This record gives sequence, structure tokens and C-alpha cells, in this order.
Amino acid sequence: MHYLVSVIATGTELATPGEMETIDVFNDKLRAQGHWVYANGLAEPSAATVIDSRGEQPIFTDGPFLESKEFLAGFWIIEAPDLDAALKLAAEGSKACNRRIELRPFHVFAE
Amino acid sequence: MVASVTRRFGDLDIAEDATAEAFAIAIERWPTEGVPLNPGAWLTTTAYRKAIDRIRRENKRDSKQKEAQMWYDDSPEPLDAIDDERLRLIFTCCHPALAMENRVALTLRMVGGLTVPEIARAFLVQETAMGQRITRAKSKIKAARIPYRVPSAEDLPARVSGVLAVLFLVFNEGYLATGSDTDPIRHDLTAEAIRLTRLIRALMPQDGEVAGLLAMMLLTEARRSARISASGELVTLAEQDRRTWDAALIAEGQHLVRERLDAEVAPGRYQILAAINAVHTSARHMRDTDWSQIVALYDQLISFDPSPIIALNRAIAVAELVGPEVALAAIDGLEEKLVGYHAYHAARADLLRRLGRAQESHVAYDKAIELSGNTAESAYLMRRRNQPRC
Repeated sequence: MHYLVSVIATGTELATPGEMETIDVFNDKLRAQGHWVYANGLAEPSAATVIDSRGEQPIFTDGPFLESKEFLAGFWIIEAPDLDAALKLAAEGSKACNRRIELRPFHVFAE
Repeated sequence: MVASVTRRFGDLDIAEDATAEAFAIAIERWPTEGVPLNPGAWLTTTAYRKAIDRIRRENKRDSKQKEAQMWYDDSPEPLDAIDDERLRLIFTCCHPALAMENRVALTLRMVGGLTVPEIARAFLVQETAMGQRITRAKSKIKAARIPYRVPSAEDLPARVSGVLAVLFLVFNEGYLATGSDTDPIRHDLTAEAIRLTRLIRALMPQDGEVAGLLAMMLLTEARRSARISASGELVTLAEQDRRTWDAALIAEGQHLVRERLDAEVAPGRYQILAAINAVHTSARHMRDTDWSQIVALYDQLISFDPSPIIALNRAIAVAELVGPEVALAAIDGLEEKLVGYHAYHAARADLLRRLGRAQESHVAYDKAIELSGNTAESAYLMRRRNQPRC
């Protein structure tokens, strides 16, 4: 089952070299143990654009959809058999990137 | 049974409904058709079948796989397996990813078998709100795939303390529900907490903290009838008529405490709290209390839990040992952390009163009364506040 591990940031500074290292180690572990699906860092919120095409013409707005003190800085998508396993990995992830994270399951669609 | 069916189908809602249906059929049929030779097996099998029907109707993805699992082993569970099922259920309901209030609601519903209205009344919460807590917990278990199992050996200590925290909360809620106009169901909460803790103890007889929590509950519950006066006022330990204490509960609690002492394993918080209660309950009068023992036990507790509330309780014991002056100095240091806690002001008020500082004592009592949420407690504080110096 897939889980989204979102990295919560309060500032736009990138990971320090030390954090990069621990993140790399963590990523290697995820790959080695078959938990890795995808992960990456995101550009700062001001680089985002909101698009609304529900009407006649698409509307483009500069900036993130939500102005907030805390925002998404990056994420992992991991594969784990259950929440206990996912929680352990997410705890390691939080330590590795030195940030708070949110663990959220993906929706499971019935066939 | 709910535990068993949950295990088979991994879904608390389906398990609950299927079990209820099975019982409903039994109630309908058995009076006329007679009780089956093995009623337990009949009920379980019927519940399984009902669960499968439901899964089929809901057209879940791997229903075929689950059906196959179910029909492969149709025999009733042996007793050990039933215990395992109940442990699985308890640990799942008390999972750390669930908010504490939702854990409490779910545990009382699924393990305790209390109805939603009963639980709502006990915690003075609207029925709809209490129902939502249970729904939220079940949804989270399903959506996040909280596994239905007893935690691994490595995770067990943390998870057990999570379960004990839930039970402790239930017990406290019941115990502090005092006063003449309290719904009686709140008194039943302490009984429920004790029952569930006994269940866990039966399932995990080696665990020291489980024994400690049970002992603590028993030794506290033993004093229940002495705790409220006829006029609905709180009666402190110093003033309680100890003859009304329940000797059987005290004996059982003290036996558990001795058992843990003999085990010679470093005690956790509940064992220490139980030991403190054991010291109190072995004194025939307040003045016979071995306060140095109690202070020593608080010292032990503080060493791994430097909580200000424990420091407060330790200071109260210190006052009995060396006098109010030293204790007041210790308590004053806790002001910043405990300024919103009624018991802090009540303790200060009492010490100031004993030191003859009446004016300051009155102010502290007023603060305590303002913060106290419990009618029996306020009545007691009000009386103390208005008492002439003694």
C-alpha cells in the first residue's frame, strides 16, 4: 500500500549538506528494502501557479493555492504493508531530513 | 466474537454488524428450535457467513480471496486463540496513531461493549460527538491500514503503555465523577476500567506495569465510599473514615504490589503509584502513614518522570514529613507550570493556612475554587477557605 510522506517546511532554505547526506542514506535504505516508489524536493511555493479550467477559459494565478506559514517542501511516496511499517519509515524520514513530516495513506480503490 | 470476526475480515464495522446479526438470529431461533450443541461455534460460524454476505454485497476487491481464507478453516477458535483475538482488538483500538479521545471511545465500545449513549453520558459529551469519535477511529484504522495484530516484541512496551494510558484515563474519569447529581454510569466507568485491566492482566500475566495499574486502581477504588460526605463534599485522605475502606480490594491491591516487589524488576510508573497507594492504605490512621516511604517512592517516580504534577504531590508528602515551610518553597518553584491547575492552588492554600498566612491562603483557595471543575471538590475547598484558623 502506498503512503505519501510530506515534508513540512517553514522556510525556503534547502537541506544542509549534512541533511542531504542523511537523506541519501535513508533513500538508499528505502530502495534496498523495496519501499521506494518516488521522492523529490519541491521548488519554493512562489514558483507555483494555480490553474482553474472549470469555466470557459482557464485562469492562471501566480503563487501557491494556499498562503501559509508551513508548506510542502518535498515528499516521498513509499510502499509499506501497513501503518506500523509506514510509521517507522516516516519517523526515520523525519529524522533524516530534519523536518516535521505528514504521513498520509493513498486512497484504496475497490476494483 | 467481534475480535474473531475482525481478524477474519479485517474490518471492525463488518465484524460488529455480523456479530449483532448472529446474536439476533440466535435470540429469535433458539427459544423455539433449542440451543445448538456448541453455541459458541454456531454463533461464530453464523457471524462469518453474515460477514461474507455483506462483503459480497459491497463487492470488495479481494472478497473472493477472503472467502477462500474463511472456508478453509471452519472450526471454532480454541481458547488461547480467543485470548489472542481480544489482545489484538485492544491493541488496535489503542493504536498511537489514533487521537486519545478516539482511542478511549473505540476501546469502550469495541472491547468494553458499552453503547454509544452510555459512553457519551460518562464523558459528558453529546451522543453525536461521541459517535463521531468512534467513526473517525474506525475510518482511520481502515484508510491508513492500521494492522490488526499484537505488536512485535520490540514495539510491545510502548504499545502496552499506550493501552494502560487509555484505561487509566477511563478510570480517572470515573473516579473523579463525584457529587450527588452525577449520573451513576460514571461510577460504572471505574468498574469498567478495572474489568478491562483485569482482562489485560489475564492476557499478559508477566507484565509489571499492567499489574501495577490494576493494583493502583484497586487500592484507589477501595476508598471510594469514604471519599464523598453525605452532603456531597469531597473528603480528603486525612479526614476519611478508614473503616469504610474496602478491605478485600486493599488486600488484593497490596498483594499485587508485593508480588511486583518480589519480582525485583525496576518498577515503572504504575507500579510506583500502586506502591504509594499501598503505603497509604496500610495505615490505620493518617498519622500512622509512613511518609518517608512515600517521599522515597515519589523520588523514584520523579527520576524518570519529572512532571510538575508529580513534583507537587511529592511536595505535599514532604510537608507531612518535615513541615509546611520546606514544602511551600518547593511548590512555589512550580508556579509557572501549574498556574492553571486547581490542585496546585489548593495545595498552596493548605500550606499557607498551616503556616498561619490566612490572607494569602484565602486568595489561593479562591483561585483553586475558580479552577476546580468538580462540585464535590469545590464544596470542600469552600469549606476549608472559610474555616477559622486551626
